[in-house]
Amino acid sequence: METFVIQFLHGLAYGMLLFLVSSGLTLVFGMMSVLNIAHASFYMLGAYFSYQMLKMVGNFWVGLIVCPIIVGFLGILMERFLLRRVHAGGHVQEFVITFGLLFVINESVKWIWGTEPLPVPIPSALSGSVMIVGSVYPAYRLFILFFSLGVLALMAYILLKTRLGITVRAAVSDRDMVSALGTNTPFVFMLVMGIGTWLAGLAGVIAGPFISTYPGMALEILVDCFVVTVTGGLGSLLGAIVASFLIGQLSSFGILFIPRFAIVFAFLLMAVVLIIKPTGLFGEKA
Amino acid sequence: MGNKKFYLPMAIAGSVLAILFPYILPKFQLRMVTEIIIMALFAMTWKMMLNEGGLFSFGHALYFGLGAYASVLGWLHIKGLSFMSGILLGGLVAGLLGLILGAFLVRLSGTYFALLTLAFNQLIWAIVWKWRDVTGGDDGLGKFPKPDLLGLSMKDPANFYYVSLMIIGIGLFICWYFTQTPLGNVCASIKSNEERAKFIGFNVNASKLILLTVAGFFSGISGALYAQFQEFIATSTIDLGMSTNVLFMAFIGGIGYFWGPLIGSGIFVYLSEYLSSFTARWEFFFGLVFIIIVLFAPQGILGIVKKKK
Repeated sequence: METFVIQFLHGLAYGMLLFLVSSGLTLVFGMMSVLNIAHASFYMLGAYFSYQMLKMVGNFWVGLIVCPIIVGFLGILMERFLLRRVHAGGHVQEFVITFGLLFVINESVKWIWGTEPLPVPIPSALSGSVMIVGSVYPAYRLFILFFSLGVLALMAYILLKTRLGITVRAAVSDRDMVSALGTNTPFVFMLVMGIGTWLAGLAGVIAGPFISTYPGMALEILVDCFVVTVTGGLGSLLGAIVASFLIGQLSSFGILFIPRFAIVFAFLLMAVVLIIKPTGLFGEKA
Repeated sequence: MGNKKFYLPMAIAGSVLAILFPYILPKFQLRMVTEIIIMALFAMTWKMMLNEGGLFSFGHALYFGLGAYASVLGWLHIKGLSFMSGILLGGLVAGLLGLILGAFLVRLSGTYFALLTLAFNQLIWAIVWKWRDVTGGDDGLGKFPKPDLLGLSMKDPANFYYVSLMIIGIGLFICWYFTQTPLGNVCASIKSNEERAKFIGFNVNASKLILLTVAGFFSGISGALYAQFQEFIATSTIDLGMSTNVLFMAFIGGIGYFWGPLIGSGIFVYLSEYLSSFTARWEFFFGLVFIIIVLFAPQGILGIVKKKK
């Protein structure tokens, strides 16, 4: 019983982390129909920036605020100077240019910080553990859980209640119409890209102490992230939540019961969902 | 596609050069040329799917890798399997997979198509990786027989080059011929407007399925050749990296041109060899080159050459 609860909580923490990364990806896709492969690299940049910040300032919390903003700014630059230039060339071109960027960022990271995993200590305030149903659970994972829930609430508020959110939702359903009605869509795109990469950076910062900082972390989360966004439905935030939860539990319990083929099941789930409902569980746009 | 006066001498010069390569090139260069032509067929099948059918494959290594594994397992476990039969086995298994997975894939297009190919690729990759008893997992498979072909030893680089050249030549010719057939035209119409093609009365899904099967078959052939070329295969033939490489090759050469994949695979193989000889971070420059090409020459290297004329 205890193992189950702990395993469930582990899965939940990883699922929430996945949600943070995939929500940015799915938001950008819903808005611009661009599958940003480099998204995972921005996540990794968040983790590395946070390591650097910790080294220079010595405070995790400063990094948590500053690093995602820098990452988001880089995302804005990418939209402005790369994606916008090839926008006329169609989605394939936009898609492949993010590919090139993935290579450039991943290799730059290896260049600057080396290929060894870097230690990022858990901030002292959260280094303890909590007792849950009679077993010990690391406090930092609970923090990930609640922090992600906070971000989720913030995003839901922005999307549902603010003017920006209304514009974004409108643009997701009909981009040309929104543009025709006088909204500066390129600017909104840039903003959404910024928010999306900011989310990736945020996830990267909190992932550092959780699953350590190493050059392979981008590709690792990229694949899981694809599974989440595709299963949940590209462009659907609700889908991202549900699918993140599913994949988190699948990887957590999969490792417990079928360690050898745990990895297969995530892809199987993705393939089956795509076959039965090509737009994903909650996706609308085909 | 245009200027015959220009093409004929080029074609003759190219063929003469291709035949003379083993005599004029040092050994390691010949190896690279062999790798280039093998990868060219693979890149051609990728380009064919995008260019003829508008289908963006994001898991193309699936067919390539499966062809490689199927042929190697054939050579390992079927006694007396000849060189050609092994290669064909690789092609057939990959083609069959193209047909089976194609049944699920044809209903999709665009990003969803790309993502389902990715899902299948990852699925099969994970199985190959974990099923150690058969595939060797991370350790890969080596030490499989390299049978002679018509008394010619395939261990000789020049012989192997000629045989590859012949197989690739036939493969490329069939790929080209495909675009000239009515079926190829239907595929082209699907690419420009799937709804309308359907409306006119073409069987869109069947055409896509045939395209996928043909592409799978030739990817498998090139995968099998690649296995014999390397004399060793590992999960790197079927992983996402290989799916990325083929995309790079096709784009660098130029998506819209028949010879694009060949030029692209040439540049890719040479550039990666050259860059990796003086920096461990060669993929950085690769990504940079790629971004620059997509930004400034979206039609690839051939696009630049053609524009100047």
